[in-house]
Amino acid sequence: MIFSKKKITIAYTVEKCPKCEMLRKRKFLQDDVLFSNSTKCSSCDGITVIEKIFGELMEQ
Amino acid sequence: MNFTNIDFDQLFAMNDDSNPLMMIVWILPIILFVFYGQQIQLFVTSREIKKAIKKLDSFRDESRKELVIYIEQNLKHENNFTKKIDRFLDYFTIMPVDMDPNGIVDKVQHTVRAREDYTREHIKTLSPQINDIELAKVQTLLEIASSLQMIYKIVNHMFLTAKKQNNYPLILPLQMILPFIMEQADAMREAIPAFKNNQPVGDGIGPMVVGKMMLDHKKEIISFQTALAKTDFEGRILYLLKAEGPGSTVGRPADALGKITSENKIDAIIMIDAALKMEGEDSASIAQGFGAAIGGIGTERFQIEDVATKNKIPIFSIVVKQSVKEAITLMTKEIADKADETRLQVYEMIKENTAQGQSIVVIGVGNTVGVPQ
Repeated sequence: MIFSKKKITIAYTVEKCPKCEMLRKRKFLQDDVLFSNSTKCSSCDGITVIEKIFGELMEQ
Repeated sequence: MNFTNIDFDQLFAMNDDSNPLMMIVWILPIILFVFYGQQIQLFVTSREIKKAIKKLDSFRDESRKELVIYIEQNLKHENNFTKKIDRFLDYFTIMPVDMDPNGIVDKVQHTVRAREDYTREHIKTLSPQINDIELAKVQTLLEIASSLQMIYKIVNHMFLTAKKQNNYPLILPLQMILPFIMEQADAMREAIPAFKNNQPVGDGIGPMVVGKMMLDHKKEIISFQTALAKTDFEGRILYLLKAEGPGSTVGRPADALGKITSENKIDAIIMIDAALKMEGEDSASIAQGFGAAIGGIGTERFQIEDVATKNKIPIFSIVVKQSVKEAITLMTKEIADKADETRLQVYEMIKENTAQGQSIVVIGVGNTVGVPQ
């Protein structure tokens, strides 16, 4: 127990481009809302949509 | 008396039953455990319970502090709002008498809804310009802080009563149930950041599935904090229902269903919800079944079953299994990854169980925090 590492949850956002179907995972930002438009797609001129928001456990 | 010629070999000899010292060594603990066994057990158990109570105390302090900080930093508030919060935290609900169970569901529903309405109104007095999403957020944070306060008080009461009476059997039920209580309390504490940041929680998988089906369709508010969209799918009419997101609410799907069935002929109801997994079951596994998949105190389920029975409508359900902690904390990747598969299963279920020209109500059950439509 003394040597066990503390686990923290980090929130991630997955954006999906509706045009080229490209997925991009990034850290969650304060105003991110599911299904809303996010950023410009890095591989085409489409606007990405937030597909998922989830948390992953990380050891500190 | 001469102490210099003691024969230690003889004194501690194990092979002689008549050795008086060895008899005392054996008999003393027996006497001790016979007369003071319960007190010793009480002492050992008390230490464990005290540690848990200390943890619960820190959880309730933390949740209160988080709520106060949130209001201070994000809302225009009155100067003495902390006093009001402390008063809210001690609010209790007295459930109706059930000696005569006739009409008990309506009474319970009335009591719970009256409490919710009261809380909402009083949050508005804390910050009159508050919007609906912030209001739902503060209400949820208040409920978490209030629940943690209540858990702490009950556990502490049970412990102190057992200590006061010096009664070991009285502490046993508490010792047995404590790990489950701690699991719930820990989950509630960890739920706070997700609700503060308006992020979807595990319980939101139902609204997430139905919310995506509702995108690009006209929505209307059919009952309190509940959204409806009417669409079609392979010759069938779909009535899609979910709590109005992205605020933290579960809506009133039973009221909405009652309204839909009173105006339309419905042939099937499909409910999508998160369900508690059994130990050993995989998290985020999908299961299908019959009957109303909806949690809570049971009033919504009663109403849905009542509507379905009166109108002879079959209820199908799809659940995504998860633990208590997963259900109320930030949605895990495993659960989020199952949203598309669950939606495909909903469409499959519609095709398998209904014919063209029929109407189906699809309800996404659960807290819709962070999930719009």
